[in-house]
Amino acid sequence: MLTIENLEVHYTTDEGDVRAVDGVNLELDRNETIGLVGESGCGKTTTAKAIIRLLATNGRIAGGSIRFEGTELTALSDRDLRRDIRWNEVSMIPQNAMNGFDPVYTVGQQIVEVIRAHEPDTTKRDAMRRARDLFEELGIEGDRIDDYPHQFSGGMAQRAMVALALSLGPSIVLADEPTTALDVVIQDQILQVISDMQDELDSSMILITHDMSVVSETCDYIAVMYGGRIVEYADARTIIQNPCHPYTLGLRNSFPDITAESQELISIPGVPPNLIDPDEGCKFAPRCPFAQDECWEVTPTPEEFGEGHIVECHRAEEVDMLQTEAAKRETWVGEERDVGVQRDQRRVRPVETEQDSNSHE
Amino acid sequence: MSVKERLSDARGRLMGEIAIPSEAQILEFVRGTLQLFRGERMAQIGVLIILSFILLGLFAPALAPYDPGDMNRGEEGEILRLAGPSADHPFGTTNLGRDILSQVIFGARVSLIVGITAALVSTFIGTNVALVAGYYGGKTDDILMRVVDIAYGLPFLPFVIVLVFIFGAGLINIILVISLLMWRSSARVIRSEVLSQKGRPYIESADAIGASDFRKMYVHILPNILPLTVLYMAFGVAWAVIYEASIAFLGFGDPSMYSWGTMMYEAYATGAIRFAYWWVIPPGVCIMLMVMSVFFIGRSLEKLTNPDLRH
Amino acid sequence: MSMQRFILRRFVYLLFTYWAFITILFIMFRITPGDPTTLYVVEGMTKAERLATLQRYGLTEPLHVQYIQYIGDLLQGDLGESYRYNAMVSDILVVKFWNTIFLMGTSLTIAYSIGIMFGAYLGWVRGTVQEKLGLFIGLVFRSSPEFWIGIVLLSVFVFELGWFPWGGIKAIGAETSADFFSRYLSTSFLYHLAMPALTGAIYYMAQPILLMRSSMINVLNSDFIEIKQAEGLSSFQVIYKHAVRNSILPMATVIALVAGMSIGGSLVIETVFSWPGMGREMVESVHHNDYPMAMGAFFLMGSVVILMNFLADIAYVYLDPRVRYD
Repeated sequence: MLTIENLEVHYTTDEGDVRAVDGVNLELDRNETIGLVGESGCGKTTTAKAIIRLLATNGRIAGGSIRFEGTELTALSDRDLRRDIRWNEVSMIPQNAMNGFDPVYTVGQQIVEVIRAHEPDTTKRDAMRRARDLFEELGIEGDRIDDYPHQFSGGMAQRAMVALALSLGPSIVLADEPTTALDVVIQDQILQVISDMQDELDSSMILITHDMSVVSETCDYIAVMYGGRIVEYADARTIIQNPCHPYTLGLRNSFPDITAESQELISIPGVPPNLIDPDEGCKFAPRCPFAQDECWEVTPTPEEFGEGHIVECHRAEEVDMLQTEAAKRETWVGEERDVGVQRDQRRVRPVETEQDSNSHE
Repeated sequence: MSVKERLSDARGRLMGEIAIPSEAQILEFVRGTLQLFRGERMAQIGVLIILSFILLGLFAPALAPYDPGDMNRGEEGEILRLAGPSADHPFGTTNLGRDILSQVIFGARVSLIVGITAALVSTFIGTNVALVAGYYGGKTDDILMRVVDIAYGLPFLPFVIVLVFIFGAGLINIILVISLLMWRSSARVIRSEVLSQKGRPYIESADAIGASDFRKMYVHILPNILPLTVLYMAFGVAWAVIYEASIAFLGFGDPSMYSWGTMMYEAYATGAIRFAYWWVIPPGVCIMLMVMSVFFIGRSLEKLTNPDLRH
Repeated sequence: MSMQRFILRRFVYLLFTYWAFITILFIMFRITPGDPTTLYVVEGMTKAERLATLQRYGLTEPLHVQYIQYIGDLLQGDLGESYRYNAMVSDILVVKFWNTIFLMGTSLTIAYSIGIMFGAYLGWVRGTVQEKLGLFIGLVFRSSPEFWIGIVLLSVFVFELGWFPWGGIKAIGAETSADFFSRYLSTSFLYHLAMPALTGAIYYMAQPILLMRSSMINVLNSDFIEIKQAEGLSSFQVIYKHAVRNSILPMATVIALVAGMSIGGSLVIETVFSWPGMGREMVESVHHNDYPMAMGAFFLMGSVVILMNFLADIAYVYLDPRVRYD
């Protein structure tokens, strides 16, 4: 249904072009949920927003294609995009639901507004009724369509937002960190709500988050992004249980396992990469404990690693070693690690593998 | 860590939270300001213009070609009434033969003195009212805000005119009367800022170490609202200059001084504005330039205090 | 608290402020340094005439008695007798009051209609050359005192081009129609209104332009604006139904303050254009020592200001649903 090929999104700044999305490939079918996972600035939100061309004034799609049901979205005029695609086919749930509503209109008025913007023949009464029904289905009292956004609690506001997002029965819903602003109990409820509605409406979802635990529950497929590229992609189970890319392994470490004994969290040291005019080589190399010379010099290409499992890493075959070592604290915080290091100051020796590990200061 | 290190660490953290700027922080602020200033063309122009006026005002007796009160005479000894611009009198003369350029130069003094002083006084009053009202809250706040309401209820120019009329049109009176009302605008806005500062953690910290009310208000909160205060002081200069000119134009200016407003009053009252453009334009343009330059500086100051406006 | 309670509370404040205003007025005009009688007494009066005048104005009574008298008079609408005109102040001021209201009302309406739209436009096209130019023009307007703008307009349109009359409200020699409507709805009136109203409009336009622009910039950064764009609404809908509607909130309070300022500004504009309004009347009265007239004019002007401030408070609550329910 949706095919993204080699997407490039650049932001023009005083210091140069920021290559926020640098060659992303993705496919989404009906009734599928894909999770886009990564740290801030990795390009996940930009990728999603690029689908509906919702970029800042200094942003632009610099290359690649986005095809939706055969239509090339990047070639559509602004007017057609607005009329046919936005909200109709692709809608969005923002991070903080209350801020997604205009504070001076009631929630009902805003749902009616978007319905009548795309289906102008609908009467106000019918549109209101639809809004009310949506609310009921999502577990909100119908009368509350006459309330103002600030009158809703966090969880309720999020549901109202879901109602707005689903009001035109879109094919794709972009959920931008939909649970970050909520406590875990409500998080769970919301994810359930979203999943129920999805089934009913046969819509797909792109879930953007930095929280691995959320994607593990809700997504069919997971794409791990770093530095504007997808570094690992597979079905959810594989990513959670059998990840190959060092970054994914690092991410997994950062989220505690409730069943394990008390553990100290291992975080990935270093800072996000500079995306202005990046050099050759793997973008993760400066922070990767397994980086070798090749990693610094040659940009890795995506390789299929098993069925539908794509990884962008030179050392992907050494998956057993990677997985074992990555689980160890010393790998990430060893003394000779000098992270955030510039190209010309890179570490001299690669991390020792199990075979020749002798001394660890 | 030794006990000494721990103590200084704690003190450092506490100081950071209390937000009294350290010497290093102040230096950094000044450096940052100057850097920003270098990029702000408007502010540079503004400062340039203001400095020129200050120079004019300071050295007026030396710079003005004639005494502004002198009735100049022409070659045959007749009084040069309403002469147009010439080599001798680049801005021409008034109906009494007085040199307009000299009057303009001396006029800078009045505008600057009234503008800066009134701005300082009114911002001083306004800031203190804001601090007390915002900090103490409750009844004090209510009472002070009612006073501000009343101040807002008095139409500015009429009030000023009556007071000037009653107490006389001296420079000091004019400054006092302008300040007497102008503090109202800074009071309201600064009070909101004080309220938001009051909720910050550093105030709690200050409380915890037993700081007095006075100390909390003036040593802790004040430095944090200072940028806003300075901003209002800047705008206050602009407003005061306009008010002074308006008062003078209506005939209530200080008769012993040459203000730009008085010049325009005379031009209008004698009907000379119908043709004597040389009399009318220079003081008007000067007022405009002075106020504009203050606004330029003020806008750049705004960018400093509100980073959202920077791009 | 509910709307009604809020309005009630504000109304009580209004009464208090008004009372304070009246009292300040009283103090201003009756307690002056030196001999208070100099305000009401003309040169060359004999002693007997002086006493009679003072008695007429009740100035021989003790102060608190004067105060009660004063409040009582005010409540009955008695503003005293004008010295210059030898007529009741209220009679003279009625017409002048409406002259001023029409003038400033027109100025402010023009100023705000254009100002809001232009300011919103500037906020929308942020960072472009048009914005910088618009800002510059706004700043120039703001930096020019009203009388300067008036004089410039006079020089160009009246003296140079002769398109408009110098001042006044009617042609010299023409009769003043007694009927309210024909007085204000005639072409002659509009013809005379044009220049002074334009002066006020230019001067007062600067603030809504600048304020609207910065308000828009703030609002346009909000999350919900992005959502409205994602919803596929047209730019027009996003700008006007959402961005402007939210940006306008601070304007409500500003309008009242400006209304207050404009009453002061009327003094200057009316003087430049010889417009027979309250402002000019007040200036003339002060120059001529006609204290009852000056006080009466001041009283009327202050009343308008206080009322406008009150209305603005209410308006803000009405426009912003968030404030209503706290």
